[in-house]
Amino acid sequence: MKIILKYILTNVKERKTRTIVMMLSILLSTVLLFVSFSIGTSYENAQRKMARGIAGTATVSVSPKDVNLVVDLNDIPELSSVQTKVGLLKGSALYHENGYYETTDLIASDLMLLNQINKPRLVGGGEINDFTGNQIILPDRFTSKYGIEKGDTVTLQIGGIPTSFEVAEIACYDTVFLRHTRGATALLPKSTLGEILQYENGYSEILIEPAMGVSTDELIDTLLKELSDSSLVVSKIVNETQIATDARQKSMPFFLISFFSLTMSVFIIYSSYKVITLDRLPIIGTFRSIGATQKTVTRILMLESALYGCIGGIIGIPLGIGALKLILQGMGDSLSQGIEIPVVITGTAVLLSFGVAVTVSMLSAWIPVRRASRLPIKSVILGVIEERHMPNRFIAIIGVLLFAVSVILPNVASGGMLYLAGGFSLLGLIVATILVIPLIANLLSKCLERVYAVIWGNEGMLASRNMRDNKNITQNISLLFISISAVIAITVVGNFVNTYITDVFNGAELQGFADGEMNRDFVGQIEKMDGIEKVLPVYVFNHEMQCEGIVFSRLEATDNLKWYNSMLNLHYTKKDMESFAVSEFSKTRSIVLSEDCLKRSGFRIGDIVTLVNGVGSNSYAIVGSFKSRATDVEAIIPSAYAVSDFGASNYNFLAYTAADPDSIMVQIRDLFGSMQNWSRTVEEFNTDAISTVGAFLKPMHSMTYFILLLAAIGIVNNLLINYMQKRRTIAMYKSVGLSNRQNIKMTLIESFTSGMIGAFVAVTVSYLEIQTIFLVAGSKISMLPELDFKVFLSAGAMGVLITLIGSVVPIIKSRKMKLVEEIKFE
Amino acid sequence: MKSITGNIAIEGKNIVKDFELGNTMTRVLKDVSIKVLKGEFVSIMGQSGSGKSTLLYILGGLDTPTRGTVSMNGIDISKFNDEKMSKIRRQKIGFVFQFYNHIPNLNVEENIMLPLLLDGKKARDYRKQLDEILEVVGLTDRRKHTPRELSGGQQQRVAIARALIGNPEILFADEPTGNLDSATGAEIMDLLRAINRDSGQTILMVTHSPEAAKSSNRVITVKDGMIV
Repeated sequence: MKIILKYILTNVKERKTRTIVMMLSILLSTVLLFVSFSIGTSYENAQRKMARGIAGTATVSVSPKDVNLVVDLNDIPELSSVQTKVGLLKGSALYHENGYYETTDLIASDLMLLNQINKPRLVGGGEINDFTGNQIILPDRFTSKYGIEKGDTVTLQIGGIPTSFEVAEIACYDTVFLRHTRGATALLPKSTLGEILQYENGYSEILIEPAMGVSTDELIDTLLKELSDSSLVVSKIVNETQIATDARQKSMPFFLISFFSLTMSVFIIYSSYKVITLDRLPIIGTFRSIGATQKTVTRILMLESALYGCIGGIIGIPLGIGALKLILQGMGDSLSQGIEIPVVITGTAVLLSFGVAVTVSMLSAWIPVRRASRLPIKSVILGVIEERHMPNRFIAIIGVLLFAVSVILPNVASGGMLYLAGGFSLLGLIVATILVIPLIANLLSKCLERVYAVIWGNEGMLASRNMRDNKNITQNISLLFISISAVIAITVVGNFVNTYITDVFNGAELQGFADGEMNRDFVGQIEKMDGIEKVLPVYVFNHEMQCEGIVFSRLEATDNLKWYNSMLNLHYTKKDMESFAVSEFSKTRSIVLSEDCLKRSGFRIGDIVTLVNGVGSNSYAIVGSFKSRATDVEAIIPSAYAVSDFGASNYNFLAYTAADPDSIMVQIRDLFGSMQNWSRTVEEFNTDAISTVGAFLKPMHSMTYFILLLAAIGIVNNLLINYMQKRRTIAMYKSVGLSNRQNIKMTLIESFTSGMIGAFVAVTVSYLEIQTIFLVAGSKISMLPELDFKVFLSAGAMGVLITLIGSVVPIIKSRKMKLVEEIKFE
Repeated sequence: MKSITGNIAIEGKNIVKDFELGNTMTRVLKDVSIKVLKGEFVSIMGQSGSGKSTLLYILGGLDTPTRGTVSMNGIDISKFNDEKMSKIRRQKIGFVFQFYNHIPNLNVEENIMLPLLLDGKKARDYRKQLDEILEVVGLTDRRKHTPRELSGGQQQRVAIARALIGNPEILFADEPTGNLDSATGAEIMDLLRAINRDSGQTILMVTHSPEAAKSSNRVITVKDGMIV
């Protein structure tokens, strides 16, 4: 065993270039896989921390149903399942500095109790002492942004009234100050905020930490039973399911990248092992001649591949931790909230990454090793091994058929089958392309022979000829195809997601919106603001309105459907539907439904349906259907009937256009004062969305460089293998007069051509794959991707460039070639 | 037809060749001088490891001497750079190897035309020359076959045709019958003798076989790196 291990280690040391290439490919794949496994966990952890925010270790919240009422600590009975209960006062203010307005949430609590669930951390340490009167504690992220120091005075607009506070302390941006939305949180003394909000007793919300061993659900059940007051709402602070789903979505693209990189690694290791086993045939012959069985030879070679996997895994995981740190740091910095996402490393991620590194290495080596071990002993010793030729035509026919089926299937499938067809098509296109590449390479090299003869003379013609039936060239093209299409798919889908998420109001006329309770007087004040153009107030019924057994997730009511249509960019299903709906809205009880809702409910245009809520019911005629990216509303009715039939009193949403949307927004926020609202200009909304989406897309884009690096490694590896297998041929050429200059020319032409074929195939197949992705996702999205020709072109050009650069290695090697050694012996 | 003119086709003077084997330096050729006249058919014989093939490769420009000169038409070619030496190989020298050394993905015609193609010549301008050479080596009916589809003897004929297509001043052959059975080997030697006799082609051949050496005009024996 010792001798065998020594033999394996010597092999690893001797084959330096090849070993490095294989190790690098395993290493990069391990890094990517580790990042994919860990990024979701890390993000989930950060998201949970953010979602908890003020709550800290508290998991249940009790608040009054009516936002104008308060809840008292005594409302919560003394229960064994409760560890701590902390009352929290909440208000809102506006900070104005150099034309920039920042929403500031004001919180206050009994500090002794707050410390038990989420103790605020001061910059420079220390405790909060003598915190009374008009004092305020602000997070460092806020103070550093506006150059505020401890002891300074800051003025906040609370309910339109400027109120000054002395900055008592500056806190770290965590614990109660951590947010998952824009703006800042400020801590005030309880009595001060109570006075401002005019809450003599009671709190806006009570946060409850469960006792040791009590789950959140158990605590909620107990509270629901014990709380006799039905005016209180008991809720979970953190929606774990939502966080987990969100984290899964974030890590999904990384898994996609890992899939590509693992496929490429398999290619690299497989082709390396083909050469390794070929090189080792004399040694295999010697082993076999002295009594080693096929199994023993297989084990020796597989042990070597396991060693590569182990080393790749051992080095790859620490590198993965480094990469993860960098990615998460970049992600945290890019998020507008500026949170720090901690690196969470789980044993599962480490073990899985290591396991996959070793498994991929061993599986990739298995076929060539098995083939070499099974060779007849006589042939091995005599060195008369004939490469087995697969029936190319048969493989090509299968490839072409699979390709055709993969293209056609998603176009003919529908319903639930569409997803299945899409999945099959994506995988089928990749497999079919790999099968068809030898055929394409042969056909193209045949066509190019004459073209190259004209452009580059006889060397061009011979280079093109050399590409025919050249397995290394076809493997190179396959590798290029996988890497380029990975880069294109990641870039196109990434860009699309960016556009789709950040540009929801594209085409919509509104420039700002306010989400909150607004009465007629409130709307009247907005309508009188300087520079305001259009104001569209809307009544909203969330999960309230029933219609023939189904509940609309959101129904809105407007008194101006024409404005509504343009403000929220509604696309009606048929051309004349819009004008018909507008005219019907002013005459009768009419309803327009979203296309998804129409499909879900099975209603048809012209149907008369009955709408029911807790207040009243009436019949409405369906007069149209629409699609819109700017709103997720399912149904719209005239506001006059919303008032008369269903008791709508206050508006809940308002959209506006104005000469200066920012100035209007400031005034609207001011009008809301301490009332809960979510008001944004469209520009603000887009900036927030770009920042959040960009934070996740940026690291995804940077992963494409890993893919390109892996592709470069694989291509250099293939070109080296190609050189090793062709060095006798190169020597033959040289013996009849091929100069180094001519050899360089031929090698570069071969590399350029394989790069071009790889790029061409990748661009074509990526285009088809993107079409499939959007065909399948089409029902869920309401816009099609803009395919930027530049992305395709630059990815293709990058592939060609990598191949050309990679060919430098065989060029240098063939310059140093000892001609006589190569041609003297067979 | 070429004739023996007495002019020197190739001349090696004081050739020394050292090889590094591990940490030790081994002298394979020890101050060897040799002249081959135009039109001569010279055989170099000697035991394995005597240095005969090394001498042939140095004279043929596939290897460089540690010391000494190799002259062709009075010009020392041993110091030529890669570009110049490659041109000499394409235009002035033909090589026949023991293991044929064909390009597997090119057919017979293309393999034969290779030196001309690498020299930038247009294949269509040399159709007649190709037909003639195929006729000489007896492979007219095998012109579209790949080397893999030919017997050993036929492959060696292709190698001879390729060596001759450029009308070289000298043809070097390294054990041209070493990989063939005796009957086929004899046929190849007959062919080489005929080429030398009929067209006055200078040939310098390394061989183990006394039978093969009989075809030549002169036999040189190399022993322990020296001509004896």
